[in-house]
Amino acid sequence: MFAYQLRLAWKSLRRNPGLSILSVVGIGLGIGVATTFVTTYYMLSGNPIPQKSDKLFYVQLDSWSPERSYDRDHPDLPPDQVTYRDMAEIMKSKIPTHAGGMFKADLTVHPAGDGQKPFRQLVRMCFADFFPMFDVPFQFGSGWDARADAGPEAVIVLDDEINRKLFGGENSVGRTLLIEDREFRIVGVLAPWKPLPKFYDVTNDPFDAPEGIFMPFNFVRPMEINTAGNTSNWGDGSGDGFEGFLQSETVWIQMWAQLEDEEQVQTYRAFLDAYVNEQKKLGRFPRPINNRLSPVMTMLKDQGAAPEEAVGVLIIAILFLVVCSVNLIGVLLGKFLARAPEVGVRRALGASRRWVFVQHLVECELIAVLGAVLGLGLAALGLELLNRMFEAQFAFRLDLPMVGAGVLLALVSGLVAGIYPAYRICRIAPAMYLKTQ
Amino acid sequence: MNLGPILRSLLHNKTRLILISFEVALTLAIVVNCLNLLFEMRGKMLRPTGIDEKNIIVATVLPFGPEYRDDKFIERVRTDDLAAMRALPGVKAACASGQIPLSGGGSSTGLKVEGSTDQVGAPYFSVTEQAVETLGVEIAAGRNLVPEDFVTKPTVEGKPSQYNVLMTQALADRLYPAGDALGKTLGGGERFTIVGIIRQMHNSWPDSENVERAMLIASPPGSARRIRYLVRAEPGMREEVAGRLEADLLRLQAGRIVKVQTMEEIKADSYLENTVLIKIFSAVSVLLLAVTSLGIVGVTSFSVTERTRQIGTRRALGATRRQILEHFLVEAGMIAAFGVAVGTGIAYGLNFALVSLADAPRLGMPLLSGGMILLGAASLLAALGPALRACRVPPVVATRTV
Repeated sequence: MFAYQLRLAWKSLRRNPGLSILSVVGIGLGIGVATTFVTTYYMLSGNPIPQKSDKLFYVQLDSWSPERSYDRDHPDLPPDQVTYRDMAEIMKSKIPTHAGGMFKADLTVHPAGDGQKPFRQLVRMCFADFFPMFDVPFQFGSGWDARADAGPEAVIVLDDEINRKLFGGENSVGRTLLIEDREFRIVGVLAPWKPLPKFYDVTNDPFDAPEGIFMPFNFVRPMEINTAGNTSNWGDGSGDGFEGFLQSETVWIQMWAQLEDEEQVQTYRAFLDAYVNEQKKLGRFPRPINNRLSPVMTMLKDQGAAPEEAVGVLIIAILFLVVCSVNLIGVLLGKFLARAPEVGVRRALGASRRWVFVQHLVECELIAVLGAVLGLGLAALGLELLNRMFEAQFAFRLDLPMVGAGVLLALVSGLVAGIYPAYRICRIAPAMYLKTQ
Repeated sequence: MNLGPILRSLLHNKTRLILISFEVALTLAIVVNCLNLLFEMRGKMLRPTGIDEKNIIVATVLPFGPEYRDDKFIERVRTDDLAAMRALPGVKAACASGQIPLSGGGSSTGLKVEGSTDQVGAPYFSVTEQAVETLGVEIAAGRNLVPEDFVTKPTVEGKPSQYNVLMTQALADRLYPAGDALGKTLGGGERFTIVGIIRQMHNSWPDSENVERAMLIASPPGSARRIRYLVRAEPGMREEVAGRLEADLLRLQAGRIVKVQTMEEIKADSYLENTVLIKIFSAVSVLLLAVTSLGIVGVTSFSVTERTRQIGTRRALGATRRQILEHFLVEAGMIAAFGVAVGTGIAYGLNFALVSLADAPRLGMPLLSGGMILLGAASLLAALGPALRACRVPPVVATRTV
């Protein structure tokens, strides 16, 4: 029966191609615009690491000034980063499955080969755990191990983009690269990896791509590497010289831990509280204990990473689809009622009202599905256009859930637009049309 | 013209009335809100920044040679670079600046007026000589910075160091509402003496509400990590000067990377999000107007087809073509008026949602009136085609099919 109705619907669309195209294009445009901005909103405020976001915890300690809170607008929040000495101490804990402090640096890379100019490159200083903790994908080689952390050994990991730039995308594992005044051996090359937002460091440009090079954190001392990210301090300021900076109360490091279950979370929390209490005896941590372990999504909400404009655009895009649906009602109404004589005959020949109603709804949904195909194409195009306009800052794309969302939006708007016209046409009195023929 | 019958025939077919006016209403609400956001962003991008953005070039020098660890060396390099750049043909002025206006990242310090507890954020630029000439800002009161201002003052133990500064009128007024900022000294650890007032200038953060607050400190910048120069070209010479800066600076001194950008590029980068949003809102408005106009064409045509016989009858009874045309246009006008009235309510509702959720500006009456006229005109224009078709229906139709 359904196949028959579908065939009838298709025939009906074929009969008046101009009008059919108009209705498909109209609703397709609405689906296209709505899907594009539902996708941008979903990606900007979405979960960048869904498979383990509830096991990854951002660590914050309130080491701030006794006189005022770190964030005046949110006095309950501790500083968004930690100090070097606290990071170094809590890294000694064996409780988390993985853990590590990290920061962003800006270093000079000297490519080998003649005529290649040196350039500045953003580098993520991190520990071996960074890669397994964040499920970072590799195309060649792997990350480094704890021994390389301790050394530190002169090893680095490149991302796909910089590997293309420097080595034409070949397997560069085992080759070396001169950074600042040191030779580093490449041990791994990442597969393309662009978590959105860049959740592991939302203090510094949350929507930028990850850094192109990853280097063992402990080079910070021998190479006196400064952060290229945000630093905040209070009291004695940022200390004298580089060692003074490391020992100061300046917060500048992002600290993460992977904890598997509630028990592990509680144990780690107790460890952090005990650490802060011990430090209080040394005269540090003048504020009440306020340690935080925030899972990824809580942290993103606390730090307000999603841009407000995305919400506004989302609302406008959904309303756009509503207008397109209302438009479709008008078109369908005209189309169906023009066909009243034919429906009159069908009714006289025994078709029930219900059948006529369903038949016309099937036609609406067929239009909606065709609209969805067009709309998803438009959305893919729209997202690509946005990526270009944003100069590759984002990597918006349609994934399976968003294709599903687009189809769902289409089916719902087809249904909403179709109910009234289908109702009107199934209510016509057959007698009148039989008379005039 | 008799409006009564037109209104009655309109009410006879309520579906059409409701559909089109609802569509017009929603379209009005969305379009005026889009335009509202768009105009605000455009206004932000086009407002005067106080600096000569068209002719300024920014050269960022990133040293990597070990010799740059020495502060004395950096100072000498800076002096040589500036002298060379100032001597280039087509260069009006050049200075070094630790911070770049409109770039989205900079430095700020908290300032407290003596005897006050109120701390005011003061975005600043540490600059060398010729900063005022390079930026192209105007001194409204007091004097420009002079060479003596840049002589480093010895830091006596326990006694804070002191700098001469220029600040914008906006910052001076915030600190000294009485208008007596000139000549005052303020600050805690480091002390700043205000020797001149700049009429207007934007700081490094175009997004900030207090973008007009800025301070130029007579304190030459530069570190082993980065030195930045601002170069102001003569009108029309920007491309030529920008094209040769990298090679010229590298010839002067090796062991460094030089990156040259124009101020307009830096500004475009900072406003990238705005630019994209403006494009999005324009596209949505245009598409929406097109969809709605097409909808009106469709529904009006349908209503004309439906009433072909009635039109024939009216024509046979003596109605002129003009009267038929008028009938359909007045009808379209009424639907639009109704839609616009409902749309005003929806527009304010949507604006309220956008203000609270997305920090949008409030909707003003002039924009709304403009939107009403736009929608009214679009409705009439869309109805014109079908209405012309209606008025060409010959009277004979009335007799033919009966």
